[in-house]
Amino acid sequence: MGLPNASGDLSTEVEVDAFRRLFPLRFFEKHLLESIRPDARPLGRARDTTIALGAVASANGSALAKIGSTTMLAAIKMEVMAPSMETPDEGCIAIDFHMPPICSPIVRPGRPAEAAPVVAKQLSDTILSSGMINLKELSLVSGKAAWMAYLDIYCLDADGALFDAALLAAVAAFSHLEIPVVSLNDDGKIVLSEEQGLSEREPVNKEKRKVNLGSIPFSLTCILHKNYILTDPTAEEESIMETSVTVVLDSSSQLVSLYKPGGAVLAYTSAIQDCIALTRQRVKELQKILEEAISGMEVD
Amino acid sequence: MSKTEYVSPEGLRLDGRRPMEMRQLRAEIGTVAKANGSAVFEMGNTKVIAAVYGPREVQNRSQLINDHALVRCEYSMANFSTGDRMRKPKGDRRSTEISLVIRQTMEACILTHLMPRSQIDIFVQVLQADGGTRSACINAATLALADAGIPMRDIVTSCSAGYLNSTPLLDLNYIEDSAGGPDVTVGILPKLDKVTLLQMDAKLPVDIFENVMGLAIEGCKAVANYIREVLLENTKQLEFRRGL
Repeated sequence: MGLPNASGDLSTEVEVDAFRRLFPLRFFEKHLLESIRPDARPLGRARDTTIALGAVASANGSALAKIGSTTMLAAIKMEVMAPSMETPDEGCIAIDFHMPPICSPIVRPGRPAEAAPVVAKQLSDTILSSGMINLKELSLVSGKAAWMAYLDIYCLDADGALFDAALLAAVAAFSHLEIPVVSLNDDGKIVLSEEQGLSEREPVNKEKRKVNLGSIPFSLTCILHKNYILTDPTAEEESIMETSVTVVLDSSSQLVSLYKPGGAVLAYTSAIQDCIALTRQRVKELQKILEEAISGMEVD
Repeated sequence: MSKTEYVSPEGLRLDGRRPMEMRQLRAEIGTVAKANGSAVFEMGNTKVIAAVYGPREVQNRSQLINDHALVRCEYSMANFSTGDRMRKPKGDRRSTEISLVIRQTMEACILTHLMPRSQIDIFVQVLQADGGTRSACINAATLALADAGIPMRDIVTSCSAGYLNSTPLLDLNYIEDSAGGPDVTVGILPKLDKVTLLQMDAKLPVDIFENVMGLAIEGCKAVANYIREVLLENTKQLEFRRGL
């Protein structure tokens, strides 16, 4: 490898692991020259993705999503609340993203991760603006009662591409969500009706039903470094090359969100368009994985 | 005051178990790739994930101890872990108390003098709570510490037992736990046959207490057998992967 470097070519003398820790950028660039990454992925390929629905039995809807080592557990709990005055026949969704200290050695108790509120806000904006859930479906009795869906996403292992995994887990949890049956009792309050055949109270909704999802958003995060575009970065890659672009497309290939929070690399529009094209491919893969997971659940 | 039958006349509990029967145990090691050691432990519907980071550099210099390692523990429950959504999953009194209990229990068995000036962090997250979360957390922490290769005197296992309808019951679930009867949680070092954790609330005559505690210790030994099997299986897998 005849690469000129200023501080002498230590790469032949130092052990691989030490070189990786001491000169991380040079380590990665050596790989990028051969169009490959240290975990043997080509630049445009994402890691293995899996979805498991119904991971939390006590929640109304839940899912566990894994992209490589990054693991996200999403669960939805439904509560009845009074709708606001401006929107009397709409429910509400509250999205919360947590990074407990188990997920990464950088997170300490008492010092929450920097990434957590950023991803939480991104998720909230993306899910609410994508129109996946029609809030009118969450209404029970107009003006008096509506559903409040609490979506909690916990990161169990943080290895890069947190937003992608979190969005995937959230979307999968919504596709698994079943709205429980409730009925109106004598005080005019909504109660959960657990037994069948309660003749005194009329159930407000006849049976447990699934939420109708509109167009589902899927995302892909890419890292830009010089002329290279690396898809689905690991935590190591993200910490060295900090310029990332997140593209969110929905199932009809419409652009839902584009996020490039600054960074040392300035991107030409051609680079952004390449990212969008890579996302389009990824959306097809993710759609297939989600459909397989859903049909797997329906067998029983 | 209605008298709910926690043990039916045929001797079956609410979930169909016999009084001396534990819930089904399930454990998995190495679930969190980023942690030095991690484990998921399930006792019936109670599911807990534990991760261990350490020994590593002490993050708060003022807490550094010169002759042994600092052990820290944090217990938190996921918002969706209980029946109704929890508002304050950590920092409330119960979580702080359980964090302290787990830390002191594990500290007793870790050979801290072998790792001076360093820090061992044990983080436990409850994903599903159905009674016995304290015990499940201790069992999960033991597995995670073993996975991290941290030297210990012995494994620590824990189990709870109670006394309802004049019958000692092993491994209470949430409904039995909230029945208002006594709840005894025991943590032991099985090989050394020593008790490291013992907590009880509500009133109980002393001779019945000995019975119930004996039952909990039997439960702990059963958990210890299971944990040893899991660790042995894990070691065989590691050997296989190394081609030994």
